[in-house]
Amino acid sequence: MMQRKLSVILENKPGALARIVGLFHQRGYNIESLHVDPVKDVENYKDIEELLNITLKENEVSRLIITTTVSDNLLRQILRQINKLIDVLIAQEESK
Amino acid sequence: MKLPGNDILIQSLINEGVEYIFGYPGGAALHIYDAIFNQNEIEHILVRHEQGATHAADGYARATGKPGVVLVTSGPGATNAITGIATAFMDSIPMVVLSGQVATHLIGTDAFQETDMIGISRPIVKHSFTVESADKISEVIKQAFFIATSGRPGPVVIDIPKDTTAPDKLFDFLLPESTNIRSYNPPIEPDIKQIKRAVDAIIDAEKPVIYAGGGSINSNASEELVELNKILNFPVTNTLMGLGVYPAEDIRFMGMLGMHGTYQSNMAMHNADLIIAIGARFDDRITNTPDLFAPRAKIIHFDVDQSSISKIIEANIAITGQVKNSLKVLIDELNNKKNMIEHTKIKPWLTQIDEWTDQHGLNHELYKENSDTSSILPQAVVQHVYHITNGEAYVTSDVGQHQMFAAQYYHFNKPRRWINSGGLGTMGFGLPAAMGVKFAFPNDEVVCITGEGSIQMCIQELSTCKQYNLPIKIININNEALGMVKQWQDMNYGGRHSESTYQSSLPDFVELVESYGHKAFKVEKNSDLKSTLEKAFSLKDELVFVDVYVDPEEHVYPMLVAPNGSLKDMWLSKDKKV
Repeated sequence: MMQRKLSVILENKPGALARIVGLFHQRGYNIESLHVDPVKDVENYKDIEELLNITLKENEVSRLIITTTVSDNLLRQILRQINKLIDVLIAQEESK
Repeated sequence: MKLPGNDILIQSLINEGVEYIFGYPGGAALHIYDAIFNQNEIEHILVRHEQGATHAADGYARATGKPGVVLVTSGPGATNAITGIATAFMDSIPMVVLSGQVATHLIGTDAFQETDMIGISRPIVKHSFTVESADKISEVIKQAFFIATSGRPGPVVIDIPKDTTAPDKLFDFLLPESTNIRSYNPPIEPDIKQIKRAVDAIIDAEKPVIYAGGGSINSNASEELVELNKILNFPVTNTLMGLGVYPAEDIRFMGMLGMHGTYQSNMAMHNADLIIAIGARFDDRITNTPDLFAPRAKIIHFDVDQSSISKIIEANIAITGQVKNSLKVLIDELNNKKNMIEHTKIKPWLTQIDEWTDQHGLNHELYKENSDTSSILPQAVVQHVYHITNGEAYVTSDVGQHQMFAAQYYHFNKPRRWINSGGLGTMGFGLPAAMGVKFAFPNDEVVCITGEGSIQMCIQELSTCKQYNLPIKIININNEALGMVKQWQDMNYGGRHSESTYQSSLPDFVELVESYGHKAFKVEKNSDLKSTLEKAFSLKDELVFVDVYVDPEEHVYPMLVAPNGSLKDMWLSKDKKV
């Protein structure tokens, strides 16, 4: 078990954040900290644009940073569950 | 073309091919109901409780593969639908639920019949939408149907504030031809490298088992599964949700596995060296204690939902994609390597499985007992129903002992014939689900095998059956107790029957059903059982309820030993444990 930082890019729509927060509780995971902002610096997200073959516009998506303390296996499961949410473009572990 | 929101909604549903809406009107949905009144393409079915609407739509969806559609009003209409939405969610059933909502300007004011439906339903939907304005309705409907039916299917809720369907405001109406959701791309085709690894593992296997679940039905992969096993000749087991995807009459079919699975299925899974999981999710009713599950087996896991793979049991080979497509690719690869498959290698394994079947397999001849010195066995009731319907009926069930007996003793040779709430285990599901099936297949036999506990949870739908003349056959396996609860109390709680009996308070079901305008018979003796069931099924145009009083002491076996047991640890009777 160690503390992980997850980064989630999701559509900036009403209710999208609640789905992620709700999922943590529903699946029995714990959120230690959470920070969310609309993405303004889209030029820093070229890798994601390329990966998903999309073009981002300012304030169109939000970036969510969540810290949680979990095992490797559970981290994989959490990321898969978050990635399954329809409004989520990508969820990954933040590289250190 | 310009239309008001309520007509845009109905036209959008027609465009999705919707035949039936199961619903119940109320204040916030009245604009929509007015639009329903003014058209002839979609038939609205008026249920007696919103839970019935969701289960009916669910039964329709399970039997046809098409999404079921529900319409309810705000507040209590929406909350009453929750159990049915959760039922569909747990079994990955495509469903679109339209819930009325108070007008946009009233949201958040605790208005009359206001409830936060999006919030309440969030953990039990695949996705949900709030309609922001009438000009968004057609796009929302398109997206909702796409999400509900693609990938791993599931229910989608659309909350519709009353003002967005107002008849007096007109909007441009254009039907979107297709939709693209950039953040949603469910996998379709498998990774060929993983398929090649699966082929190698299959060629090496000496003790293989195919374990297919509800996902293989959702993906319409029955034909591919049968074709695959023409090549392999491997033993096959199905989960409760998978029954019918592989023909029960096939010589390689071992029956259901898990909590009340057959002895041979559970033993084969426990002793396997290769488990090919196809659209199954290693649920706790299947694995028993996960750490003790199939200790020597390599796992190949086919699933459309990546989060189901290696969730409970780590997969050695993970194949993400539509199961149907993945199996096609697997079949092609196996055909390329046909000369490397040695059928003799699994001969001893097949012999071993036959021995297990001979030792402790289920007795499918119980229906031959017709002496009145013994009570009617619930298993025999199911066996009679199977023979009378030639194994061709759509069978819905509720939840409990009767459900397990139906799963064990009615042999399903086709997918989508066995309609039950496997994941959530919802009592009250059977009757409304049977209604949904009967609307979809009016010329087929539809049987609801239920119990006197479950049937009372949605019995009001007998009135709906009268209104629409639905000649369903209801077989009430009446043991005058909450049988499965009582069985657990017998096995694990020293026989203390806490709140599992009704102390002579049961209604006279014959009078009750007759008062709804249907036929009903009561059976208490073995010697009357067959003839009464035959009479019931001969009344083609009528709903017939057969109330069969069975042995109240009977238990469902095998039963896995829990907690801390593996799949090989089973009770085979009240006093025999292996």
